[in-house]
Amino acid sequence: MKLKVYADRMSQPSRAVIIFCKVNGINFEEIKVDLSKRQHLSEEFKEINPMEKVPAIVDGRFKLFESHAILIYLACAFPRVADHWYPADVSRTAKIHSVLDWHHSNLRQGAASFVFNTVLAPALGFPLNPQAASQAEKLLSSSLSKIESIWLKGNGRFLLGGFQPSIADLSLVCEIMQLEVLDEKDHSRILGPHKKVQQWIEDTRNATRPHFDEVHTILYKAKTKLAVQRSVRGNSETESSIKKLPSKM
Amino acid sequence: MKLKVYADRMSQPSRAVIIFCKVNGIDFEEIKVELSKRQQLSAEFKEINPMGKVPAIVDGRLKLFESHAILIYLAGAFPGVADHWYPADVSRRAKIHSVLDWHHSNLRRGAASFVLNTVLAPALGLSLNPQAAAEAEKLLSTSLSIIESIWLKGNGRFLLGGFQPSIADLSLVCEIMQLELLSEEDRSRILGPHKKVQQWIQDTRNATRPHFDEAHNILHKVKTKLAVQLSVRANSEMESSIKRVLPSKM
Ligand SMILES: N[C@@H](CCC(=O)N[C@@H](CS)C(=O)NCC(=O)O)C(=O)O
Ligand SMILES: N[C@@H](CCC(=O)N[C@@H](CS)C(=O)NCC(=O)O)C(=O)O
Repeated sequence: MKLKVYADRMSQPSRAVIIFCKVNGINFEEIKVDLSKRQHLSEEFKEINPMEKVPAIVDGRFKLFESHAILIYLACAFPRVADHWYPADVSRTAKIHSVLDWHHSNLRQGAASFVFNTVLAPALGFPLNPQAASQAEKLLSSSLSKIESIWLKGNGRFLLGGFQPSIADLSLVCEIMQLEVLDEKDHSRILGPHKKVQQWIEDTRNATRPHFDEVHTILYKAKTKLAVQRSVRGNSETESSIKKLPSKM
Repeated sequence: MKLKVYADRMSQPSRAVIIFCKVNGIDFEEIKVELSKRQQLSAEFKEINPMGKVPAIVDGRLKLFESHAILIYLAGAFPGVADHWYPADVSRRAKIHSVLDWHHSNLRRGAASFVLNTVLAPALGLSLNPQAAAEAEKLLSTSLSIIESIWLKGNGRFLLGGFQPSIADLSLVCEIMQLELLSEEDRSRILGPHKKVQQWIQDTRNATRPHFDEAHNILHKVKTKLAVQLSVRANSEMESSIKRVLPSKM
């Protein structure tokens, strides 16, 4: 039975898993779980992932959630995946785990909370929280600095001095890509100072094209929608009638 | 060269790594990085872990931080470690990764923030934030419910239906153990409803004794210290002169 990937492309860990499958020629069926329609809360999806989050996979009888765990599983279970994505060497694997563990409470927390509190919240019927946004910006900026000074300091173009991307590159770059929905000013204030990060995003994109671009097109559409919503909100009081965007990225 | 473990036993991921080494007979040197003295921010320790956090290890030329990554590495690199800690089977491994990934943004965030905002903050010169505490309690309680209903629902005594503990049991139980610092009232409100979690803590403790108890001794000492501080603060206005006794962040 074909691998099933439950995902919403508005979600960055979902994008990472989809890109990984495509780049590695893993045959899979993409099953859309539309967060904006709250499909992740359905009884049906709870059978797949009781945590009600995307992404999740089903491989035969095996169900799994958490994108890092999924990427590692796919790299091990599908023999065609090249070693550089998740090297067999114990020390190199360990370093990749370290980056991925760090990701959870740093880059992800900063990026997701900043985007939520600067652009997504109103679209979801929440008020913007400038204090939360400024805290998130601090965490996000210091995370980007750390990526540059610690993991991109080697000779290679990828994290940990790699000459080819690993699952950590893909996961972290997909996280950063959500900043595309920010307005120009926020985007350049945050990413502008980090030239190495910018180059690394480009390199990861090049290493995974055309799938990388194809899977990210949704972000540009969402950005336009968000801008329209903002101006509608500016011009009228009928907030409640605005069509809802996904609950959380 | 012997494995070096940089740790502060006030830190729950540090305790998990120390207990793991001891239970598995891994020969190591414990190097104390005292968070209350801000030693984690020293130039010397930054050479070991540029993130300025404990735990971290040095094994020969390899330097590594993040406790989950450390536990996985140790299980793979030291041949004496029994398979149940980190099974070789790809699917069982994947399930353990999934629990550990979930831990970061759920149980850990809830527990650490709740403890900070109900007992630790004043000792650190921070003010208690009741709103943050309330939010953290929600996340913590949901996390405990999820552990019960999803990962402890099998036949086994351990997570994912295991009959013996894995690194996920050790890591999550050490996280929950910090609730020992709470007042009796808070602790029993939060843990009381979760009988299965309580049993699982006991089972994990039994499977890793005496090292489990030895590594957790510090919590009981700190609890007493905190109580003394609280009464000192209540009795005098000289708050600023109170000697700091606690690590910056658990
Ligand atoms: N750590 C998880 C994060 C999963 C997650 O937070 N997914 C979000 C979308 S990016 C979600 O499904 N949110 C729905 C909700 O929280 O209700 C992973 O990497 O898979
Ligand atoms: N996710 C990390 C957490 C490490 C961590 O937050 N360590 C704390 C102690 S529990 C620390 O060193 N805090 C010092 C600081 O933040 O300055 C792990 O599991 O190792």
